[in-house]
Amino acid sequence: MVIDLVRCVGCDACTVACQTENGTPQGIHYAPVFRREIGKYPQAKVVFVPTLCMHCENPACLKACPTSAISKRKKDGIVLVDQDKCCGTKACMAACPYGALHFYDHQSGMYGDTLTPPEEYWLQKFQVGTAQKCTFCAHRVDRGEKPACVVTCPTNCRIFGDLDDPQSEVSTLIRERSGTQARPEAGTNPSVYYLR
Amino acid sequence: MAAPSKNQEEENVWIKSTCDMCWNTCGIRVNRVNGVVVKIEGDPACPQNWGKTCAKGNAGHASLYDPHRVLHPMRRTNPIKGLDVDPQWEVISWDEALRIMEEKLRKIREEDRRKLVLASFDNRGQSGVFHAAWAAAFGTPNQRGGGSNYFCGNGFHPVTYLTHGTWFGEPDIPYCKYLILFGTQNGSVVNHRPMDLAAKMADARLSGMKLVVVDPVGVYAGSKAHEWIPIRPGTDAALALSMINVLLNEEGIYDREFLCRFTNGPYLIRRDGRYMRDPESGKPLVWDRSTGRAVPFDSPEDVQIALEGKFPVNGEDIPTAFTLLKEHVKQYTPERASSITTIPTETIRRLAHEFGAAAQIGSTITIGGHKLPLRPAAASWYRGAIAHKHALLNGLAIQFLNVIVGAIDVPGGYLGINPFSETPPRQWSPAASADGLIIPQGYARRRKPPYPATRVRPPERFDLLDLCPVAPYGTTFFTESLLHPEKFKLPYFPEMLILSRCNPVMTSANPDVMADSLTRIPFIVVFTCNMSETALLADIVLPDAHYLERLDAFPNEPTEFMGAGEGDWYWMVRQPVVPPRGQARPWVQVLFDLADRLGFLGDVYTLLNATLDLKEPFAYKRSEKYTWEELANLWAKSWFGPERGIDWFKQNGFIISGRKTVKEAYPRVFLTPRIPIYIEYFLDAGEEVRKVTRNLGIQWNTDDYQALVDWKPCPAYNASRPGYDLFVVNFKLPYHSLSWTNDNGLLAQLSERDPYAYSVLINADTGQGKGIRTGDWVRLESDAGYKVEGQAFLSECIHPEVIGIAGCFGRKSKGVHFNSLLPQSLERIDTLSAALDSCVRVKVSRLHT
Repeated sequence: MVIDLVRCVGCDACTVACQTENGTPQGIHYAPVFRREIGKYPQAKVVFVPTLCMHCENPACLKACPTSAISKRKKDGIVLVDQDKCCGTKACMAACPYGALHFYDHQSGMYGDTLTPPEEYWLQKFQVGTAQKCTFCAHRVDRGEKPACVVTCPTNCRIFGDLDDPQSEVSTLIRERSGTQARPEAGTNPSVYYLR
Repeated sequence: MAAPSKNQEEENVWIKSTCDMCWNTCGIRVNRVNGVVVKIEGDPACPQNWGKTCAKGNAGHASLYDPHRVLHPMRRTNPIKGLDVDPQWEVISWDEALRIMEEKLRKIREEDRRKLVLASFDNRGQSGVFHAAWAAAFGTPNQRGGGSNYFCGNGFHPVTYLTHGTWFGEPDIPYCKYLILFGTQNGSVVNHRPMDLAAKMADARLSGMKLVVVDPVGVYAGSKAHEWIPIRPGTDAALALSMINVLLNEEGIYDREFLCRFTNGPYLIRRDGRYMRDPESGKPLVWDRSTGRAVPFDSPEDVQIALEGKFPVNGEDIPTAFTLLKEHVKQYTPERASSITTIPTETIRRLAHEFGAAAQIGSTITIGGHKLPLRPAAASWYRGAIAHKHALLNGLAIQFLNVIVGAIDVPGGYLGINPFSETPPRQWSPAASADGLIIPQGYARRRKPPYPATRVRPPERFDLLDLCPVAPYGTTFFTESLLHPEKFKLPYFPEMLILSRCNPVMTSANPDVMADSLTRIPFIVVFTCNMSETALLADIVLPDAHYLERLDAFPNEPTEFMGAGEGDWYWMVRQPVVPPRGQARPWVQVLFDLADRLGFLGDVYTLLNATLDLKEPFAYKRSEKYTWEELANLWAKSWFGPERGIDWFKQNGFIISGRKTVKEAYPRVFLTPRIPIYIEYFLDAGEEVRKVTRNLGIQWNTDDYQALVDWKPCPAYNASRPGYDLFVVNFKLPYHSLSWTNDNGLLAQLSERDPYAYSVLINADTGQGKGIRTGDWVRLESDAGYKVEGQAFLSECIHPEVIGIAGCFGRKSKGVHFNSLLPQSLERIDTLSAALDSCVRVKVSRLHT
């Protein structure tokens, strides 16, 4: 994925699209947008940085998991947690340089303990006591659709495609706009590149 | 949707509808699984938003299923009303609620129909048009389309009406190369047509358009700008006029041909400020250089009309209006504007130069076989610049930047939203007044235009709009009349208020003042989804349907919520995805039931036939009683043909009725009506207002009815006294709308994560100077004595004289309530446009906890 920070206006559409697409519990956002001020008045601005799981080439979470609950799909490199195998050690959370993993520790709704009907629908697929994270909307990708965050973005700042294809839009953008990874020194080789 | 659950998915459908989280009517597809709405996405085919939805649109179902929704009619049993008073609601049946309302309405209808006031922000599409017709048929003039409208488009809509002939406008981003935003956040998911403009803005910024954002707060839109220009609040007009001065008097950059042909710039002006008129025809005169005579403005084209100069007429040296303007703006030197705005002198000059150069006066572009002026520079403005005492003058000053470089309704410049249509089903074209100026027509005239001035008369409307010949609405005066009825000599006092889809207690001035004003009306009925602060004051609270539960034909009005410039004409519908929860009912349908009981439903239908221009066999028959859906069906068929009834629209979500012609996209050069750059008619309008108010003994300021635009200071500008040294301003977040999204379960999570949402934003140096750090609890006290408290967030992205408070939080929700700091008084209201000044000086102090 490529995220164009020049385009992003910090509207959080992606955060909510992701939350409702995947039905993540209250307070858990796979795709939050961070805000950071840079510069000094009046040459100052806020940089909006959308984040999500980086679906790394060398996922630290995968290595750290003692029960091998995390795997990386061969066909497209999407990194997934199998919650049936997760014992909730949180080793993955400690290992991930990007804060991409979230621990689902107790069921609560956006309006308190009573769940709304969509939450009832969503939350039954999550097991309490497991790690959860962005799946690059694997269920959508498998249907030939783009991830929810990509589809909703009003400024078209998120582009999803094949990094292994040098002619793909993502590869071209990385090349032409000198796309960079977040925290490359962590050595996990993320699949998400940022354009500045 | 994610992998199916243990439940069998018997139903998994996607239904097209129209979002209503703000009012921008984006096309959506709503996923309903086993009767539950689980996901909302944009409709990729819809030209409004091309498949995009913002955070709010994505979160619509969170408010649908809000467990705190009002779901039953309720009656207050506690006679005492107050914001912190328990109404002691008693659940009643709809029958009982209707019986009570019918009785009250029948009495008012017999005694004095004006005693009913109807206030709602639900004023577009079927609900909007139909409730306006209901009020008219009931017989009350006291129907306010914009629920709160304290400082929304007061200094915008009259300006776009005067200069384009339509209610709204937007910059032509695809062709624009230099865009200045004054107090608005186009492209940052705020304001108008946010999805389309966000994409266009991102594209334009990446392909070389320079974006300049003029705003005391630089957090959101300012952060996307190539240049953020921090400005002292309430001084945007000084900047604009100074830039105009530089362009006219220092650089000589202005579109002479445009000004001569399309404005009243060449009109000759008498010593008393009025047009010099032809003694026979009464037409305003211009000077013909070829014959050396004054001739009527609409003389045949072979005359050489002079834009500038002073000419001998009747033994006097008579200037053109443009000459007067050019002279007038000389006082706005960059040096003077710098001291007013705090923007450096050289920056002001540079912005003017850049804007003028970018406008490429004289350049052309060929579109669809037509050669059109190309003016790729535009200034766009909204609330930040016009929520001030001199709102209308402020708006005019900024728009004049566009006018003098000829960037009006041409490619690259500032565009009115569809002032002209030649495509079915509706056609309209601005007309010219007897003086040759723009008058909106047809659909574009749906709201109150500022010109010609409406007749001034002793007030009969409770919002005093009878005293406001150029205002779009009079909401702030409504509050004044409630609080001080003796001042305005109204012959009655309201007895009943029906309110829906607005929360004036929170979105206007200080809530205690608003509550005081509203509770003077003996009987209040509030239709609502959530128990808002305003609903707490009701005598009867009625459960309104959520937008996902209701049908509304054609909510995207063509002069507001269709694109300007090139593109399609498209007409959308909103349809219910789920039946109303509990006992909720769409509020206008309840009104129609009451009309039936009271015997005037037939009158409503007759009015609607005229408003909607319904043709046989689809016109509404007085003797029938139609369901809401039948009404929508007949309307759709009348406009789009018998094959396109409401079922077709439910299937398709919207219709594209045609591609815009070049004339529709860029109408300026095809039309003759002119733009006033010298607002001559304000002089007579002001005289009329003075006459009537003097006769009635009403104190009413008419200073701003002047022909030449000025910057004037807000009350707070000179009000700095020891301690009260900072301005406080409000700014919008991209994921909230007004006050009603505050408790949306999904959107509230965003507020929690955003350091700018709930805090009191203070400039870092200013805060440090006062010993304040991020996280400290602080109190803001306004010079009127109002106080709010919140946690400070020190920022580099805000003017050092300014404190920023986002959104409309506080009271029920976390965060700080900006409006609590706003006093309500006649002295703080623009009598021309009814805007309430929102510039307030505060003292900030750290709370020791």
